[in-house]
Amino acid sequence: MNRIYEELFIVKPDAADEEVDQYVEQLRTQLTTAGATVDKVDKWGKRKLAYRIDKYREGNYVLFQFTSQPDVVKELERRLRVSDIVLKFLTVRIDETLKRLEKRKKQRDKRAAKRAASAPAAPAPAQPSLAQMMTETPAAPMPGQPKGEA
Amino acid sequence: MAETRGGRPISASQRPTGGDKAVAGQKKQYFRRKKVCRFCVEKIDDINYKDVKMLHGFVAERGKIVPRRISGVCAPHQRRLCDAIKKARNIALLPFAASY
Repeated sequence: MNRIYEELFIVKPDAADEEVDQYVEQLRTQLTTAGATVDKVDKWGKRKLAYRIDKYREGNYVLFQFTSQPDVVKELERRLRVSDIVLKFLTVRIDETLKRLEKRKKQRDKRAAKRAASAPAAPAPAQPSLAQMMTETPAAPMPGQPKGEA
Repeated sequence: MAETRGGRPISASQRPTGGDKAVAGQKKQYFRRKKVCRFCVEKIDDINYKDVKMLHGFVAERGKIVPRRISGVCAPHQRRLCDAIKKARNIALLPFAASY
């Protein structure tokens, strides 16, 4: 069962760019040899950290997205933990979220299509009822109005 | 006169359900705008932990998660929002406790 994961980790800000690139490349090859397919590598660049980590106030964020077996994640996390230049990392499994989002989107689209199909018929009865409400409502809040002010 | 007496019991009966301060005003009874869930209204399905800008709006000054009764977010969305905020905290995108 392949799953989709997201790995976000923070690299020390004083690590050189080449060093970071090299490390990312290393991780990527390690992932592919372990049987994972790397879908996306995104370097956010330097960002301020919300709190201090190991006396650093900013960090270099790198985001990986990959599809793999669960045991590959274990190995990746071990590597990140051992590494000197990684401050912190976060692994999130996202395949179920993606599935849910897709389902929601499909529902939305379906509903929108339905509404578009029935739109020509709907406005005609809706308009009079709205006008009716406009004429009816002034009677109701009148007694309530002084109560609110008193 | 009768109207003011009529107004009081309403506020008292509303208190247990609303649980809000605005209703408990002594003499003046002011209107409270109905709160709506931002995620439902704007049709945002994805509450992502990487969207720091959005999450910032649901975190108080000191970094606490804003309760539902104040932000008006619906329960299912608040659950996901909480998850996202906690993930963002873990990876230093949001503070656990902001300091001055």
